[in-house]
Amino acid sequence: MLADPVALLRPTSPARQFRTRLVMALAFAALVVALVPLAAIAWYVISKGIAVINLDFFTQDPPGDLSAVGGGIRNAIVGTMEMTGVAAVIAVPVGLLVAIFDVEVGRQPALVIRFVIDVLGALPSIVVGIFVYSLVVVAQGHFSGFAGSIALAIIMLPPIVVTTEEMLRLLPRPIAEGARALGLSRWRSFLSVFLPTAFSGIFTGVLLAISRAIGETAPLLFTALGNNFFSLDMSEPMQGLPLLIYRNALNSAFPAAEARAFGAALTLVVIVLLFNLTGRWMVARSRPSGGR
Amino acid sequence: MDEATVDGDVVEAIASGSHVPVAAKADRVTGGVLRVENLTAFYGKRKAVRDVTLDFQPNAITAIIGPSGSGKSTLLRCIDRMHEIVPGGRVEGLVEYRGVDIYDQRVDPAAVRRSIGMVFQQPNPFPTMSIADNVVAAARFNGLVKGKGPERDLMERCLVQAALWDEVKDKLDHSGTSLSGGQQQRLCIARALALAPDVLLMDEPCSALDPVATLQVEQLMTELRASYTIVIVTHNMQQASRVSDRTAFLTMGDDKAGYLVEEGATVQMFTQPRLQLTDDYISGRFG
Amino acid sequence: MAQDDPGATESRGPEGLGSQVLHRRRLTGDAIFRAVTGAAAVLAFALIALMAYDSISSTGPVFDRFGIWGFVTGTRWSPSFTVYGAIPFIYGTLLTGLISVLIAVPIAIGIALLVTEFLPRRVAGPVAMVVDLLAAVPSVVWGLWGLLVLVPTLRPFEQAVAGSIGHVLPFLGPPTPGPSYFAAGLIVAIMIIPIVAAVTREVFAATPRLQREAVLALGGTRWDVIRQVVLPIGRTGLFAAIILGLGRAIGETIAVTLVIGNSTNMAGSIFAPGFTLASVIANEFNEATESLHPEALIALGVVLLAIAVMINGAGVLVRRRFERGLNRAR
Repeated sequence: MLADPVALLRPTSPARQFRTRLVMALAFAALVVALVPLAAIAWYVISKGIAVINLDFFTQDPPGDLSAVGGGIRNAIVGTMEMTGVAAVIAVPVGLLVAIFDVEVGRQPALVIRFVIDVLGALPSIVVGIFVYSLVVVAQGHFSGFAGSIALAIIMLPPIVVTTEEMLRLLPRPIAEGARALGLSRWRSFLSVFLPTAFSGIFTGVLLAISRAIGETAPLLFTALGNNFFSLDMSEPMQGLPLLIYRNALNSAFPAAEARAFGAALTLVVIVLLFNLTGRWMVARSRPSGGR
Repeated sequence: MDEATVDGDVVEAIASGSHVPVAAKADRVTGGVLRVENLTAFYGKRKAVRDVTLDFQPNAITAIIGPSGSGKSTLLRCIDRMHEIVPGGRVEGLVEYRGVDIYDQRVDPAAVRRSIGMVFQQPNPFPTMSIADNVVAAARFNGLVKGKGPERDLMERCLVQAALWDEVKDKLDHSGTSLSGGQQQRLCIARALALAPDVLLMDEPCSALDPVATLQVEQLMTELRASYTIVIVTHNMQQASRVSDRTAFLTMGDDKAGYLVEEGATVQMFTQPRLQLTDDYISGRFG
Repeated sequence: MAQDDPGATESRGPEGLGSQVLHRRRLTGDAIFRAVTGAAAVLAFALIALMAYDSISSTGPVFDRFGIWGFVTGTRWSPSFTVYGAIPFIYGTLLTGLISVLIAVPIAIGIALLVTEFLPRRVAGPVAMVVDLLAAVPSVVWGLWGLLVLVPTLRPFEQAVAGSIGHVLPFLGPPTPGPSYFAAGLIVAIMIIPIVAAVTREVFAATPRLQREAVLALGGTRWDVIRQVVLPIGRTGLFAAIILGLGRAIGETIAVTLVIGNSTNMAGSIFAPGFTLASVIANEFNEATESLHPEALIALGVVLLAIAVMINGAGVLVRRRFERGLNRAR
């Protein structure tokens, strides 16, 4: 008969086993603590937001007096889409070009460019708002949706450059060498081979950058300013969802404003999640094993 | 600090400097130290090595040789229950250490690993610790040694045993990774010895080392043979013939699983193997 | 493609005049290509540099009036008296940042350890994703919830603490009106947990497998693995993650504005209302009609920028040290 293992080997002392279990329990507790606010905010935004949302909410503009009941957030939704759309139109091509340039150029200049981009990405968004204000708003003499777009474009630029660069650098060697062997010129290679191959990764980066920009308030405060009326004119002050939420939150002593704020918040969160989750889903799809 | 069940015998043995196998009392059960019976190792559904039965001679060096893919390292890792930490890693069959089935439900895998030490192919001293701390780290966190004095004695004794003391005694506070490859590997051996195991598993311990370092480690192995049961996996046949007392030859079968072809005294295996396949491998005709 | 030599335009076409024409056309094409991408980069950076220059130069009058040192160390902020000093806001920014880091970092470390050391791989991915959802909620929505839900909920606890320990430790004492540095720190902590946890997770996951196996093969428990190799090897990277979180924290504007109470008083208690650099700019800029008020606010923006650059710069340096250390450990 085989000997009794417990007597023979030196098992781990209960104290050490306890320590492992304790650490695991604490780590789990940390997770729970972090998820409580998530659950709480989800509950509040959904329950209070749904109460206010109906068709009118999306087809009417807010009342001039925020304390008045009724009205909707139409101008804010349209404004956000317009400003973010223009911002993307600016940021995506510029971002792609900068990323391509960074990949093409020698090691030293690339480091400098990357450094500038990193600094840009670390800027507080309100500082970006100030920058755009000092140049664009002052030059124009008034606030405008266009200035807001520029601010959002600056916010979107670093993530787009970083993701695009990474996607290009990760291109498998055979593709790069294949293009060279075919005698393609550099720009042709990019246009016809590299960019299309890296497309889904780049697209995901763009989606995530957009999802971030849509939720930004601070850059719009002194650029687009906000507008109570419906307007498609980018050269005038423009309303955005985050701005509307902010102004109503400041007036949330009034129940109507509070309700409106939550309805708009729910709308904003849904839009952001749409872009965010689509981006993540594309990432998950392209990676067969799905990392940690 | 609060390790209540430190084995008094072991602590005393370590402190007094005499190497005492962890359970000399168990020798009455079976004569041997280590054996393996019908051992099969899986990665998920795939068999990596099948039906190996081997008795490892105590106080001797057994070499496991064979071409790559023959499951040598997998077999080795089954012995100290390191195979199962890989996702999908599973073991069937018997591994008997001093009469104990180490895969028994009641056995704590960590306990097995304290008695059966392992040295890896790539030397892996702890990078954030000094040489001195590296040696005693495991003894410390296993609660086997306490206090500056005993620690220092243990460290010195293990470094002497690992034939490294003279080379590092003046720089014990230097980082563990500041040593050469061969020295690092001997440091890892010293670290393993600090737990007073009686079996040492070595997974291609010299393949990352230069020839000089390789010779140092091989010499160390021959010195350690007297006190430990050593099992070494190697793809270097000359090393196996130089160093080992017994040799086991594994190869990959048609089912892509490794299996034991032949086993015997080293001298015999290398001059007059029983099977043609063994002879083919040893003469370099394949692998 | 990083391995490719940049600017390689040699072509291996057929010999002859035709190939020369092709070659030249290709060179021209590539030259234009490089010019266009370069121009884009230069233009973008130039524009942003111009903006920075315009902003900073507009602060001229303020720094002329008070001196850079005088402004940065000034403790009074009274637009109606044209007195401007940055200290109340620097204090608020650093205090809020400190509170948020103190709360967020332990939680982030716990989550990171859970995901890399304890959870089976299949569960770890979704869990990480759920934590990242915290970051998808826009700042203004956190602020809204913070103002209407968190602050009122916290108030009884704050009062309890202020009424008891607060007598002994004044920074935990009254007043407790609700909106406060503490509320702001808490909200910001919630917002930075995902990024700190994500970076820390990567740091821990980067622990070389060989080191983990060394501890296990020596009879270590999972805690031993954490204590002997994961935490020591990840020490520098963890530090970088903390700095990254702090950098994010000081830049938070809208959520802070809504819950910090907007007061230029520098009360000693964390439960008192206050301001941060970012929140005062958001709060006052659009109604800044007093003399030099807008310029002073922009000057505060410059101070904030300087602090952010310093913190993030430190973070980059630490991260590079971590990567170097990791290569040594392999």
